[in-house]
Amino acid sequence: MVRHVIRKAAGWLLMIVVATNATYFLASWFLDPRSNYRDLRPVRSEDQIDRALAPYHLDPREPLVHRWWDWLTSVTLHFDWGRSPTGVSVNGEIGYRALVSAELVTLATVLSVVIGVALGVYTAARQYGWADRFSQAVSILVFNVPASVAALLVVFVAIWLNQHAGLRFLYVAGENSPGVEGLLPTIADRLLHLILPTASLTLMGYVGYHLTQRSLLLDTLGADFVRTARATGLTRAQAIRRHALRTALIPTAASVAFSVPAVFTGAVITESVFAWNGMGRYFVQTISKNDVHGTVATAAFAATLTAVGAILADIATVFLDPRVRVS
Amino acid sequence: MSTDARAGAPSGAPVRPDAEPPRAARPAREHAHLGLGRLYARRFARNRLAVAGAVILALLVLFAALGGHLTRYAYTDADFTALTAPPSGVHWFGTNQGGNDVYACAVHGLQRSLTIAVSVSVLTVVLAAVIGSGAAYFGGRVERATLAVIHFLLVVPSFLILALVSHRLAGDWRVLIIVLTVFGWMSTARVIWAVSTSLRERDYVKAAEFMGVGPLRVILRHLIPNLGSLLIVNLTLGVVATVLSETALSFLGFGVQTPDVSLGTMLADGATTLTSAPWLFAFPAGLLVLLTVSMTLIGDGLRDALDPTSATGSAGGRR
Repeated sequence: MVRHVIRKAAGWLLMIVVATNATYFLASWFLDPRSNYRDLRPVRSEDQIDRALAPYHLDPREPLVHRWWDWLTSVTLHFDWGRSPTGVSVNGEIGYRALVSAELVTLATVLSVVIGVALGVYTAARQYGWADRFSQAVSILVFNVPASVAALLVVFVAIWLNQHAGLRFLYVAGENSPGVEGLLPTIADRLLHLILPTASLTLMGYVGYHLTQRSLLLDTLGADFVRTARATGLTRAQAIRRHALRTALIPTAASVAFSVPAVFTGAVITESVFAWNGMGRYFVQTISKNDVHGTVATAAFAATLTAVGAILADIATVFLDPRVRVS
Repeated sequence: MSTDARAGAPSGAPVRPDAEPPRAARPAREHAHLGLGRLYARRFARNRLAVAGAVILALLVLFAALGGHLTRYAYTDADFTALTAPPSGVHWFGTNQGGNDVYACAVHGLQRSLTIAVSVSVLTVVLAAVIGSGAAYFGGRVERATLAVIHFLLVVPSFLILALVSHRLAGDWRVLIIVLTVFGWMSTARVIWAVSTSLRERDYVKAAEFMGVGPLRVILRHLIPNLGSLLIVNLTLGVVATVLSETALSFLGFGVQTPDVSLGTMLADGATTLTSAPWLFAFPAGLLVLLTVSMTLIGDGLRDALDPTSATGSAGGRR
């Protein structure tokens, strides 16, 4: 069992390495760091620009393979992700942002899974009841709302609530308030800022789990082993919880891994809407500023998140699925 | 089919070519026989939500195609006497910060979004069908390599790469179509591969192989036509997925670029003035949701109508 998880983890590690390096080459091809210097006054010549970029390993005259090798060695040996075209250290930027984003993505994923699975089980047990029909209609609608629209609607509702219901704790911008001192006030302040972005990410994430968990559970509800469980004297609720759900959860657990990229995509938009200084917003900024190293660091972060989600999903599968444990 | 059998069965008479019972049964048989298209249309029409979706989509297409003739403003015209004006008789959906008529922008943006979504979806499905069924048909090393690529691209945050590539290339919506296609075919290809693995074992494929039909021809003539219903459903749902990612890209500024307008760029415009000028956000958001919801309803309806084993299509029951 441990071997199974370790083998999978090694595979994911390889995936992170390949994805990050692929992003490095893509970013080097498609982003032009020189454009940061073109609008400066007095006008720099191309030679001057290239020389300014050289200390950051961004000089386009240097062969791409050399630049890549410099970048790779500095990342692997010193964990130094390089500098932006204007000389800002990427490490300094991502340390704080990665924490902020990881917090958001983790919380939203956990909430989405819990809410989605609970709703899926509840509605599957009451197929075609009014609760089922209603929640399914809502889910289909939410499923089709673009992330940006959903986030903006959450902002709109929050502003309306703040104005009309006199609420003070719904923050629509930023990940913390300036000037908060002390440990407990800081934590409370962070949590309050976390409410709305998490809500809008969860809103977009729960739907998939609801709809798939519902249909997965409906497939197992009619299975023979569930009928046998009922025949041994279990109530319907017990049979669903102990036998049907356990089987139906396996594909859901596996799908968590594949949903993390989507959550991160959602986070890119949510962070932009809520003005969060997280990795998602950093990614948008780095691309607009042609910051090759920053973009690659973001991609590595997203790949790491995916891998962590996938390894957790693998561990969950091991616990849920006896077939994996045996073989 | 089953009604035919029942109509013929009770007669009990020895069946002879000139006997009476079969002739009596013939009108019933002709009544029961429907063309495939008619059958699908009937099964589709039985699903009220799907019909509602089709009506909404038709109205949206009409709006995109003809809505421009109803206003004297073009989406590029700036009315400097009305900057950020609320909806009125002159500007039906109001104007934005630059004085552009939001109605004209919405018509144009919907056109753009629809064109991009439909072309990407068609291209994606074609690409996915060829790759997915090809991988399943050839099997072995080709299959494993293709699946490895698909899984890799599915797990890699492809949106990041999409944003990266389209930032440099886009601005032109035709380039955006290609970029979205290149990074959008994987999940459909995986589904098609999964279904094709059972198709490749069918007798008609074996028969074609024994008759010396080449692999390309087997894929094009025997595998892909048998995936027809799956492809059509994926086509409609692909439109939804494309609209969503195009909106996301344009919203962040990596998709359609400023002189041009799509629903995503309009949303980005409206985002900053959510409380002071809500109409800038409300109209594109409403159109987007109508578009995606109607396409999903149609996709669900088609899935039920085209699936011969689906209970919803044949029985009166609703989903």
